[in-house]
Amino acid sequence: MEQLFDIIATCRISDKEVLVNQESILHHGQENEQDWLSTIYHHIGLQYPKFFKMDRLCKAGILGAELLLKDYTYDHETVKEDWGIILMNAASSLDNDRHYQETISEDNYYPSPAVFVYTLANIVTGEIAIRHKIGGESSFYVMPDFDEELMRELLVQAFNADPKLTHILYGWANVDHDLYDVRMFFCRRNMKA
Amino acid sequence: MEELIYKLKEEIIDVLNLEGMKPEDIDENAPLFGEGLGLDSIDALELIVLLEKNYGIKLKNANEGKEIFKSVRVMADYINEHKTK
Amino acid sequence: MGESHLQSYSGYWGIPEPFFASLFDENDIDLHRSSSQGQAYRRFESIAITAAESAFQRAEINPDSKNVLFIISTTKGNVEQLEKSQNPDSQCDAYLWHSAQRIAGHFHNPNTPIVVSNACISGCAAQLTAFNMLQYNDLYKHVIVIGAEVLSKFIISGFQSFKALSPERCKPFDANRCGLNLGEAAAAIIYSKSSETESLPDDTIIMEAGAVCNDANHISGPSRTGEGLLRAIHKVTKDFDTKRIAFINAHGTATLYNDDMESVAINRAGLQDIPVNSLKGYYGHTLGAAGVMEVILSSIALQNHNVLSSLGTENPGTAMPLNVCMRNSNTNGDAFLKLISGFGGSNAALLFTLNQQR
Repeated sequence: MEQLFDIIATCRISDKEVLVNQESILHHGQENEQDWLSTIYHHIGLQYPKFFKMDRLCKAGILGAELLLKDYTYDHETVKEDWGIILMNAASSLDNDRHYQETISEDNYYPSPAVFVYTLANIVTGEIAIRHKIGGESSFYVMPDFDEELMRELLVQAFNADPKLTHILYGWANVDHDLYDVRMFFCRRNMKA
Repeated sequence: MEELIYKLKEEIIDVLNLEGMKPEDIDENAPLFGEGLGLDSIDALELIVLLEKNYGIKLKNANEGKEIFKSVRVMADYINEHKTK
Repeated sequence: MGESHLQSYSGYWGIPEPFFASLFDENDIDLHRSSSQGQAYRRFESIAITAAESAFQRAEINPDSKNVLFIISTTKGNVEQLEKSQNPDSQCDAYLWHSAQRIAGHFHNPNTPIVVSNACISGCAAQLTAFNMLQYNDLYKHVIVIGAEVLSKFIISGFQSFKALSPERCKPFDANRCGLNLGEAAAAIIYSKSSETESLPDDTIIMEAGAVCNDANHISGPSRTGEGLLRAIHKVTKDFDTKRIAFINAHGTATLYNDDMESVAINRAGLQDIPVNSLKGYYGHTLGAAGVMEVILSSIALQNHNVLSSLGTENPGTAMPLNVCMRNSNTNGDAFLKLISGFGGSNAALLFTLNQQR
């Protein structure tokens, strides 16, 4: 039986390393003064000032998407209705929620809208959609760990439910207690299937 | 006044996460929204928090911000007139 | 019917600025459930369990079967635990998957529950996930979708910082609308697989189609031209006779931008003559519960051949004209369209029909 979709690119970001298509492109050295995500940002030559307004989960997701799409030729100008994004994690936006909690402490109560806007897990799919003009489905799930079987099932369902869907960025993007665990993939419908 | 303008630029860079920018890079007479720094609606809301937190100025609604945030200089004038901290 | 549960709160939960909301009574027993071992559930889990229990009882389905899947829809779950305790055990409750397991575990369901957290569209996104699971996964016969949300200083202060809240009861689609009200709620729907040959009871509500589409425009403001919502509407209504649609239950949060955007999307889809309502004037915006609760209320209305009035609308005034239903009325239509939009640029549309013996 033909595969319904093909994986075109993979990327992995951990606290120590960045891998693209299973090859290491950067190690986290002690000599770096700036934070790890900024280091990756500069290393890959990304120029997207909005990055610095984002919380760590969105930064990690944006970097993941950038790495997945860097060698792919696609329309950067128009919104692609036939592309989708499906992500999951365990911590949802708790990493940033803790930061927001600090802005509403009893003795220093100044709720920050710029922080609050990132207290939703799915904003990372929104930021990726904006950056890469992806107008199809965008979904976010919260599971105890990266349930690859569920992920595969969601992909198959997405491709079957929408015959026009051609590409999906998907995977696991978790940031919690200073630990980064991003395992993202880019797949394309197999036209022969 | 010039001191306040410089301080305000530093604070804006800080609260709006304008990475890599220095106060010298911001023209105090240039529009903050639209062109210029191209700030958006969330940035405007964050500036409202800045006014209250650092200068004790509470705006009644978000629309007041449209006039006050025209430029850094306009902001500084407003702060001078209304600050309580 | 016809009354609003929204009221003003001042100094509640240590929030300096007053707000209008629909909240559970602190002493409501449904907020204080516990397990069979006597372990107390949090407010969020308690209301979710109560809603699910009611659904299983009415449907006479065993929740502990491996043919039953739990899908939980929420935006913030137990986020209030971040403030209440520095104790790591309590902080664990803030993890959405952890709450979901406690909820499904209460019913001894053997499957790992799925949590859908997609901002305000979560309730509809969860129902679409249920639809796809039943359609493509042979293991499941029934999927329970539980939408639940409790409010807290965390959530209310955040919306206040956005200046998104109205200082009075919200007025969806009204020319003088000035923001939304928030609400707490839990609602549960059990979806079951049916074959084409099976004859369904009269009055069964059927989900015909669903779609989720992103604006790809801004993370907190909707597309002014309603791009994502329009795409979702087109996806679910193609090949459907839209004259059958009795009403559109819109998101209608009563913010300037949302209601304008929906009016544009509905007009661009050519559906502007269909009666439109928003239910936010009754219970406020219940975030992760909204999509589920509003489908339930709309379903009951359709079963009664009614269109519910859009409470709070007195003088409709949106960017493009809408046929806002301002009085409960009768309908011959046998379908309704649910629309919803949320932060992150997500939009969803779900189409439902009423099974009627003709």
